[in-house]
Amino acid sequence: MDFGIALLLIALLVAGATTLGVIVRARSTRVANGCGGDERSLAVEGAEVTLVQLSSPVCSACVAMRRVLGTMTAADSTIAHRELAVEDEAELARRHSVFSTPTTLVLDAHGRVRSRLIGAVRPDVVQRAVDAARLELVSA
Amino acid sequence: MSGQGPANARPHAAMTPDARLIDVRGPRFGAAVTSVLLLVVILLGLTTPLSGTALARVIEPGALLLTALVALFAWGAFAGVQRHPYGLLFRRLIAPRLNPPLEREDPAAPTFAQLVGFLVTATGLALHLVGVPGALVIAAAAAFLAAFLNAAFGYCLGCQLYVLLVRAGLVARRSAA
Repeated sequence: MDFGIALLLIALLVAGATTLGVIVRARSTRVANGCGGDERSLAVEGAEVTLVQLSSPVCSACVAMRRVLGTMTAADSTIAHRELAVEDEAELARRHSVFSTPTTLVLDAHGRVRSRLIGAVRPDVVQRAVDAARLELVSA
Repeated sequence: MSGQGPANARPHAAMTPDARLIDVRGPRFGAAVTSVLLLVVILLGLTTPLSGTALARVIEPGALLLTALVALFAWGAFAGVQRHPYGLLFRRLIAPRLNPPLEREDPAAPTFAQLVGFLVTATGLALHLVGVPGALVIAAAAAFLAAFLNAAFGYCLGCQLYVLLVRAGLVARRSAA
């Protein structure tokens, strides 16, 4: 192959990878709707909101999310944080469309999954999701 | 389940002593070097016609460089990123010139990424050696994508791929916690 064409292909590869990187980064931390499914068995008794974090052992963002949620639950006793190993919870991951770790299920007082926090999201974003989960559902 | 905070189960890495944690910029520096070398492999692969005999394919310049990269991935995957030559280079030459690290991470995540890089590049190299056209370039491009996203965007391959392996039933429940 001609050297110039090869360089052009490489430039296209780098441009494509950059575009993909921008998209992946934008989607790697976000809040998604919960399906509302009942996960009462995972909810911590007495907590208004339980944050169930699914983690894998090869995931740096999981450590960052653990720190964020640990700080929040230490400051607010109405919130509970549990961390589960995703390899022990393949069924749970399938039920709630978990495709990356950390994914944190936001459970309300009835154990319903109100939202899913994908990636290591910022504390203020977690707080908004927690506040939303405290509100009673209008049509449950 | 009663109680919160300290009673919460923390299954992964929580017991890791701080001394094991590494500067997150180390693996990203390594990924940047790897990305550039993979682009060179692609350039050599695209401009060199596929040789007729296996021996000639082994000593094609692109194949030689990819062989070196396979060895480097294997080093990172099996000895751990802390003992990888790029890690040493980063600690000796680069880290002293940077600000102290803001973030540290468990080396398990970048080590897993090295294993994935090893599998992809080793497969491509093996297919190239048996004479599959394009195998060298495609494997190098796939590895480039992961390494480049890691270096430039802090992409964490383990965060995504591991879950997919679990969902596909390829990673099972741990025997011991």
